[in-house]
Amino acid sequence: MIRPDSPILLEITDLHATVGDQPILKGVNLTLRAGEIHAVMGRNGSGKSTLSKILAGHPAYTVTAGTIHYRGEDLLALAPEERARAGVFLGFQYPVEIPGVSNLEFLRVATNARRGARGEEELDTFAFEDLVRERLKVVQMDPAFLERSVNEGFSGGEKKRNEILQMALLEPLVAILDETDSGLDIDALRIVSAGVNQLATPDNCILLITHYQRLLDEITPDFVHVMAAGRILRTGGKDLALELERRGYDWVDEGLEPAPQADPAAPALEVV
Amino acid sequence: MVSLAVSSATAPGSASAAWLESVLSAFDQPQFLSSGGVSSGDLALARIRASARDHLRGMGMPRSHHEAWRFTSLAPLIAVPPRVLPPVRHEGGSEPESSPATEALRLYWDGDRDPLAGVVLPEGLSRIEPAAQEAFLGTALAEAGTEDSWLARFSAALVGQVLALRVRGRVSVPLELVSDCGDRSGVRPLRLLLVLEENASLELLQVHRAAGPSLSTAVVETRLGAGARLRHGVLGLGSDTSCLFAHLAVSQAPGSELELTTAVGGWGLVRLEPALTQSQGAAVTRLRGLQVARDHQIADLHSLVRFQGPEGQLDQLQKAVVDDAARSVFHGAVQVPREAQRTKASQLSRNLLLSDRARVDAIPQLEIVADDVRCTHGATVTRLQQEELFYLRSRGLGADQAARLLLEGFCDEILDALPEPASFWQPARSLLGQALPQ
Amino acid sequence: MIERYLGTVVPSNDNFFAALNSAVFSDGSFVFIPKGVSCPMELSTYFRINSGDTGQFERTLIIAEEGASVSYLEGCTAPMFDTNQLHAAVVELVALDDADIKYSTVQNWYAGDEKGIGGIYNFVTKRGQCRGPRSHISWTQVETGSAITWKYPSCVLQGEGSSGEFYSVALTNNLQQADTGTKMIHVGPGTRSTIISKGISAGHSSNSYRGLVQIGPKAVGARNYSQCDSMLIGDTAAANTFPYLRSQQPEASIEHEASTCRISEDQLFYLQSRGIGLEESVSMMVSGFCRDVFNQLPMEFAAEADKLLALKLEGSVG
Repeated sequence: MIRPDSPILLEITDLHATVGDQPILKGVNLTLRAGEIHAVMGRNGSGKSTLSKILAGHPAYTVTAGTIHYRGEDLLALAPEERARAGVFLGFQYPVEIPGVSNLEFLRVATNARRGARGEEELDTFAFEDLVRERLKVVQMDPAFLERSVNEGFSGGEKKRNEILQMALLEPLVAILDETDSGLDIDALRIVSAGVNQLATPDNCILLITHYQRLLDEITPDFVHVMAAGRILRTGGKDLALELERRGYDWVDEGLEPAPQADPAAPALEVV
Repeated sequence: MVSLAVSSATAPGSASAAWLESVLSAFDQPQFLSSGGVSSGDLALARIRASARDHLRGMGMPRSHHEAWRFTSLAPLIAVPPRVLPPVRHEGGSEPESSPATEALRLYWDGDRDPLAGVVLPEGLSRIEPAAQEAFLGTALAEAGTEDSWLARFSAALVGQVLALRVRGRVSVPLELVSDCGDRSGVRPLRLLLVLEENASLELLQVHRAAGPSLSTAVVETRLGAGARLRHGVLGLGSDTSCLFAHLAVSQAPGSELELTTAVGGWGLVRLEPALTQSQGAAVTRLRGLQVARDHQIADLHSLVRFQGPEGQLDQLQKAVVDDAARSVFHGAVQVPREAQRTKASQLSRNLLLSDRARVDAIPQLEIVADDVRCTHGATVTRLQQEELFYLRSRGLGADQAARLLLEGFCDEILDALPEPASFWQPARSLLGQALPQ
Repeated sequence: MIERYLGTVVPSNDNFFAALNSAVFSDGSFVFIPKGVSCPMELSTYFRINSGDTGQFERTLIIAEEGASVSYLEGCTAPMFDTNQLHAAVVELVALDDADIKYSTVQNWYAGDEKGIGGIYNFVTKRGQCRGPRSHISWTQVETGSAITWKYPSCVLQGEGSSGEFYSVALTNNLQQADTGTKMIHVGPGTRSTIISKGISAGHSSNSYRGLVQIGPKAVGARNYSQCDSMLIGDTAAANTFPYLRSQQPEASIEHEASTCRISEDQLFYLQSRGIGLEESVSMMVSGFCRDVFNQLPMEFAAEADKLLALKLEGSVG
């Protein structure tokens, strides 16, 4: 839902980043307002997953230039857990398995950390169980998964449902979903997508990172951005994704030119 | 510090000390290989001999309170006559009639005659002249920190000749090194120095056979240059009265690959000591071992793998089949010091215990300081799986036949990893003999 | 009664420290559960070393008669001194037919400071005999204290179908050394043993599992399963595993598994990205790592053990 007057939640300006000595992002600009759903598409290696990791504060990536503001604050100054508590959520492409740590306990501690940051009371074990059982419905997840270790032995689809369950519990204002559709069969994709659609509200925004159109058939984006070589090359409406599907990524490359010099005053990218 | 179960005693002290002294004096006058004066390589060897003799006299024979020998009785050893094994005439004459299954360069190795005399070496393989040996002799042992292994010292104290080979590039023909003591009695010391230069590759099968009261004792030192590849097999086929000792020290440079497979059986006493060092990590080591022991035989393998740099890999699988009143010992140390980050090491010891008089001791030993590593080890001691036996029998196989089939399957995983020339020796039949009683 | 059993499980000449204890011990505790009685409550004891320049040599003897059962807990703490103190206790357990003894320890003797000054030398001999058929002895220990610990709570499984268990968490930090494990001696037929050991090493400490599983010639159908996992925190701590396995019985099986891991950056990041702080993430993962052992502890002890580990690791992750 596009409302030009709604508040800006996330503003990425001329973001450059490296992993090791390797430059990956070369000037990304992106603005997300409340109520919007954005999709970032691109080939493997275009930098889209890097973007998601940087938003969550992964220590392996170094921001070399540019800024990210979350609700006007400098997001890059925050530790990963501070970002999560403040309402920035990353749904992982490959959710990590943590043997021995109970999923239920993990969800409770995380939820309470977020609640604490919002000035809400911590939930005790019983109150939390009520909450989590209610939120399980969002992703139609079997309560048995609460008793297991975090993601351990979960199938690809179960892991992704667990991610969306976490989103449902943490109620983020900015949710970045990195390749949430990968490894899902069509039924799981529908369930996960329906969950995301339920969780999208006029007050939050969602950034979908994906390779394929099929996720966007389920979750309709307001904006589609195409990344290549560490920059957003094209931005459009949902039709851009369809055009991309039709014409392939080579079509995007035609627009690829030598990276412009970092210039904060550069005009916003042209809308196709 | 910790008192665990007290193990079998080694041979009585005085008898074994006398045996050691007799062996040392029998090998007092080594015949150096190079005729026409003493070269510096001979001098290096002479120094090693002298130093080993000094150490050995200080150490004496191993006793049961030496951790490395707690589980290994030396009784079969001191039953070997303490003299130089006389030359075996027509060596190789006792071999199976058939010709080698594949093309291989076979060298006969007796510690006395020059195995290379009259041999045309294939391209890439050359002798390291005595003068050039000095730079290498003892270095792989020093890197592994196993110079003080009793076995290595003992062997070094006796050796009078080094077979020293250098490999450049890829040697297309497998090399086969055969030491056959036949039914002679006495001690045969051997020493091999193998230097693989950068990106060199070689396939080597080392065969030890004995049918009489003999001791074959070998020190093999191998250096693998960067990117070098060595597939090294040790096949030992012995008898109740014969003993085999081998210390196999390997130093691996980064990017090198070693596949070391040992398969021994039938020895009154066999002890193998692979001691491998990845000098700067980043190398690949694959260790496979099988020991088969029956009657009162003792089979012992003490391995040490040390990573001295990051990103090394080890895949170790050691198996034993123990029947009657035989003993099997496996001691496998893996050392991952602080500098060896991102090491991946796995070690598995699988033992089949076929009789209630037999005994298996398995002692994995992991010492880890680096924190970013993936190290696992496992050990099992079991009999043949009854469900598997039953399954085979329900398909019409006799009990013996089924057991034999499972045993062969158990052993094949190791035997298949031996270099190709091994098939000539029919290792499965040689090691397992007729079907073992179930 | 005491005379009949004392020193029969751990003879006075068993090892140096047992001999020392036998020579000088003055007090200790004695528990006797008569035939058919299930002790209705957890017996809880608390040990403390109060003086700076001392040794402590208590003895514990627990006898469970036919069909009896008991759960015994010990907690150990000591104030800080710059000197070292010696703790050389002897614990003997005897389980007769169908008896069940569960012995749990939370050991938090003073470990010395970060420079290794002070702390207890904890050299304890603990052994249980499953004398009767189907008897059962279970050792659970959480070892977080002491400058040096050498301790191998063991089970001698004599009775047919008897079983022994050893569940251990040992955490070392700074310059602590822990060398701990168990001996499971299978004598009788159908005996079973389980070993679960979790070692966590941080700082410059050294943490070793050392154990023996021995299956004697008469132990037909005996089974052992061992799992020894180590977790390293930082790259200056050492984790060693020295399992000795010996079998003389073909109709028996020994299975041993071990692994070494650390807390991966990806796991930490995942927890942090859900709003959980660094120290809390580490302590969550450590307690997850130890869960199999904590599950064996009585409820309130488990919670305490969890907190103890978190406390002991404070400041060791950065």
